[in-house]
Amino acid sequence: MAWYNTSGNAWDTVISSRVRLARNLNGYPFASRMNEEQAHAIIAKVGAPLESSGFKKIDFAELSPVMATSYVEKHFVSPQFATLQTPHVLFLQEQSGSAVMAGEEDHLRIQSILPGLALEEAYKNASRIEKRLDEDFDFAYSERLGYLTHCPTNLGTGMRASVMMFLPALTRGGYMESLAVQLSKIGLTVRGLFGEGSGAAGGMYQISNQITLGISEEEILRKLSEAIQQITDSEEKARKAITGDTLDRLTDRIKRAEGTLKYAYMMTSSEFIKLFADVRFGIALGLVTDISYEELGNLLVEAMPATLTLGAEIPPKTEAARDILRAAKIRDFLQRKEP
Amino acid sequence: MLCEKCKKRTATVFYNENINGKTQSYSLCGDCAAKLREQGDLQDITSMMDSFAAPFSALQTDLFGGFFGMPMMKAVSAEKKCPSCGCRYSDISKSGRVGCPICYDTFGEELSRTIQSVHGTTAHVGSVPSRHRALQARAEKMKALKQEIQEAIEKEDYESAARLRDEIRKLEADKTEQEGA
Repeated sequence: MAWYNTSGNAWDTVISSRVRLARNLNGYPFASRMNEEQAHAIIAKVGAPLESSGFKKIDFAELSPVMATSYVEKHFVSPQFATLQTPHVLFLQEQSGSAVMAGEEDHLRIQSILPGLALEEAYKNASRIEKRLDEDFDFAYSERLGYLTHCPTNLGTGMRASVMMFLPALTRGGYMESLAVQLSKIGLTVRGLFGEGSGAAGGMYQISNQITLGISEEEILRKLSEAIQQITDSEEKARKAITGDTLDRLTDRIKRAEGTLKYAYMMTSSEFIKLFADVRFGIALGLVTDISYEELGNLLVEAMPATLTLGAEIPPKTEAARDILRAAKIRDFLQRKEP
Repeated sequence: MLCEKCKKRTATVFYNENINGKTQSYSLCGDCAAKLREQGDLQDITSMMDSFAAPFSALQTDLFGGFFGMPMMKAVSAEKKCPSCGCRYSDISKSGRVGCPICYDTFGEELSRTIQSVHGTTAHVGSVPSRHRALQARAEKMKALKQEIQEAIEKEDYESAARLRDEIRKLEADKTEQEGA
């Protein structure tokens, strides 16, 4: 069970919640000025308490690019982390959605990702891991600037809280741009599904705090939660406002998307994301009844290029072969209940 | 004044280097300064102006530009280096990344402008590492004890003052011991 295939609070509009804390160890330079020996030393130091608390050590230097990318698709690591040339290790507790990236931009990026709207719980999880490490290590900290980070944009709490929202009605209505402007005024940012620069695929957005200094962790969570509530209300209003011909056309589109997902022979990942969003919208509107959020959510990871390739008995060699495999995977997931 | 390096040409570039708080001045001719600049050992003021201070760089160049054919005097200052990681401020402004935790002290003044513009503040509010919590608690206790001892002395209550003095000594000894650990 993971964030993508377990139902959560407010699943009609919220897919997942994530909190990450950036921490660095005193006595070492930051990542860009660190030598390999120092990087390994940090990994070994933090590894001991993490492994004894049930974290699995995954050394990315030993992983194939496909395996590394699969962890990106599961949102356990950042895209940058997967491609680093310096020593970098993921400590993962997959069941609880907890992960510690060692050797990312900061020495440690402690993260909790949970299904649905669960910001408080995600913070508690990340904070618990952080406190465990705080017992053993001297984190770089200044009274004035808080936790010291490689990039000054993360100073202070070092905390980034983000919620992945599903906002198809606001997207269709063309409200996202003005929403982004409003959110930026209160120190929040909107990004596409897979983080910075990925575009808003399928009406899915990550909404997170921009500012980390001069604001407490609790205040960040409160501000973000309030914004999420307001956006949820607007999205629900926009969904209810779809009636008459518009609803008929949308229903047709959703049913066609459902049909294509269930019966297509080939599918690219970008087509999948579009159809995924339509069908997910269909579930929210009660138009699609024989597919659950959990089943569909599973595909959000399982049908992605790297995870798809990993799950195959014979890895696809061409793009066309991968598209055939993706369609088969989707058919398999969505039709297995049918007689 | 002759150039300190070649000792032939007239010095037109005056250069202050500040490493770990120690300032050293050099007077160089244009050719020697250019050579050093190429080697990366000398940064002129225009290249030091990073993106955060871009509006000021033009102003500085004009201020130090030549007047009426006089030899151009450029106020040039070598950059500080972080005593811990050797990072210069130009490295930070180029990459947007700070070299090490000590850099935040070394370049405190330079960075505070960036930090202020990103966060709208330069003062942390929020959680504190356990080690600092202990330090803070001790500092607060020390402050309270010093206040109490002052009051005791004013009241001529020397018995209490002696007890408080012992407590302060003990707290100071604990602090030294912990810092040494």
